[in-house]
Amino acid sequence: MDSKAAAISSPVPVAWYPTLAVFMLAIGLIVTASFFIYEATSSRRNRSLAKELTTGAIASLFLGFGSLFLLLASGVYV
Amino acid sequence: MGLRFDLLSLFTTLALLSTTTTTVLSDVVLSKVDRRIDLTSQIVRVTSTLKVENAGPGPVSEILLTFPEVQAKDLAYLTAALNEGKGKVRNSGSSLPINVVNPEGMPPSLTFHSISLPKALAEGDVLTIDVLAVFTHALRPFPEEITQADIQLVLFQDTAHYLSPYAVNVQSLTVRLPKARIETYTKLENTNVHGSDIKYGPYQNLPPFSYAPVAVHFETNQPFAVAQELVREIEISHWGNVQVTEHYNIVHGGAKSKGEFSRLDFQARPHLRGASAFKNLVAKLPPRAHSIYYRDEIGNISTSNVWGDPKKTELLIEPRYPLFGGWRTTFTIGYGLPLQDFLFESKGKRFINFSFGSPINDLVIDNIIVKVVLPEGSNDIFTSTPFPAKQGQETKISHLDVVGRPVVVLEKTNVVPEHNQYFQVYYRFNSLSMLREPFMLISGFFFIFVACIVYMHVDMSISKSSASYLAKMQWDEVRATIQQVQSVINQCLYTHEKLEASLRDLSRTGDVQACKTARKTADSLLKEYSKELKPLLSFLQSSPQATQILPKVEELVAKERELQERLIAKHSTIVDCYEKKIGGRELENRVASQQQKVVVLKQEVEDLLDYIEEI
Repeated sequence: MDSKAAAISSPVPVAWYPTLAVFMLAIGLIVTASFFIYEATSSRRNRSLAKELTTGAIASLFLGFGSLFLLLASGVYV
Repeated sequence: MGLRFDLLSLFTTLALLSTTTTTVLSDVVLSKVDRRIDLTSQIVRVTSTLKVENAGPGPVSEILLTFPEVQAKDLAYLTAALNEGKGKVRNSGSSLPINVVNPEGMPPSLTFHSISLPKALAEGDVLTIDVLAVFTHALRPFPEEITQADIQLVLFQDTAHYLSPYAVNVQSLTVRLPKARIETYTKLENTNVHGSDIKYGPYQNLPPFSYAPVAVHFETNQPFAVAQELVREIEISHWGNVQVTEHYNIVHGGAKSKGEFSRLDFQARPHLRGASAFKNLVAKLPPRAHSIYYRDEIGNISTSNVWGDPKKTELLIEPRYPLFGGWRTTFTIGYGLPLQDFLFESKGKRFINFSFGSPINDLVIDNIIVKVVLPEGSNDIFTSTPFPAKQGQETKISHLDVVGRPVVVLEKTNVVPEHNQYFQVYYRFNSLSMLREPFMLISGFFFIFVACIVYMHVDMSISKSSASYLAKMQWDEVRATIQQVQSVINQCLYTHEKLEASLRDLSRTGDVQACKTARKTADSLLKEYSKELKPLLSFLQSSPQATQILPKVEELVAKERELQERLIAKHSTIVDCYEKKIGGRELENRVASQQQKVVVLKQEVEDLLDYIEEI
């Protein structure tokens, strides 16, 4: 084996996965809730597409990473 | 017996050989040969120490090892190393290269392996070589079928004289047997038995291709666990895990069981009724193994146990039933390992350094398939194994994959624990490719949100001219207008707050000028807001859908205007007082009544806003 070889480890410490999953999913679900509240309460005329898209994008970013960390924490190493 | 016949025919060819071809290879003389055959497990390990002497003219760079064909087909592992004095410990790093050769004029019933020496042996020089040969399936059960109560006897055959193309000066052979009964053994001259060791020799000055067949018939109750097929899957995740899954298909390779099996007898006297069976297997897993499981097709098998220490993890697994001769079982074990113990990077390439064989102790594997599943996006794959193995590639679709993960497949037959050596798979991987999986999840969620947005924006009604549809459209418009009115009123209220704040600043600092400018901006803002309100109100007045809500909205607007006026009046009064330097009680008296009204109006406006909000 090469003596100069350096060990490669995960970019995020494995022990953090459960905490990260909980927090990112919580934030993601809160933003999702605000997205749907906005969809349901604002009327069709004065609804802003940009606001909808940004809220959706932020929510999906948090939900995406949150569910990734949930998968990793539960042993499904993708 | 076929084997006997093989040996006999071999013996006759050898007898012919020794007269015809002795001169060809007689440059080398083996001055001393020590052989130790270990029969204590199902795997036969033959350790030979050869003292090689170059007697002829010219240097010698190759030493030939000879195996009869019957043994050669069972040969699983062969290694040779230079023995440089007694003090040095032999390690696998200094093993010499060995390859199969076919010298001319030799019978096909012999297989030759050639050891290449690091430097040629000059005339008269002496060299000591340690050779380890490992054979599987070399112990033949005899009788071939036994009942549950019988003991298992096996037969081993070899030659007491070292089979070699060279003349041997002094040689001896030790056969180590398990500590049990020896049924019979071939007695030659100079044969001694010490406990469970049988010693043949020393024999002196034997010509090339000397052969003296010996057979040992003895009892053994070692587990004859043979994996007919083992599929090992090693899956790398750069998120911090190496997942190993091993599918075993194990058979008891000893004497076949005949007659019925009595579980009662087996439970009551396992050493008498079932001595040849084995109940459990022990696997030595790497340290820090986690998430270990042991299951088969119908689910988890609960009879397993794990012990861990910093150097290894020991897993004891017990199949669903004890295995007698010829019985088979299939199961799967799996475990996760920390990534940093096995994955390394050097010169821009990543490589996994993993052990090849099975972690189970003393297991013979007829056919092993090792699959290394690399992360999606790996390329430039190169495999390095310490011994030849058939290599292939395939792809595997797993969690969150698009094109599939590249899989390196290594295949080898006849594998023994000596093959548990590290092999390496080198590959290139861009760290950004790790973001593929989260990106897929994110885009999946985003797609759902976009679908919701589209659903809310698209008008899905079929009949665009029906009365109910038109009413709905109008009601939507009324709602939108009311929301706009609300937002304008809220902005007005915010402006009021600002005016009040400017008054508080005035009482603190006494800066009349700043208060006046605040008043001016508030005035212009409020004027704009009232302008904005006008078209909204006129729309509501004209719309038939808004008749119910209109009075409330109008009331709201009126109250707000009144509040506005009161507030401005209060503001001017206070500013006036400050300019005229009227202070204290006088000021309070003048403002008090206005202040009361402002508070009442504010409350009313807020109530109305709440009421409209609820519609």
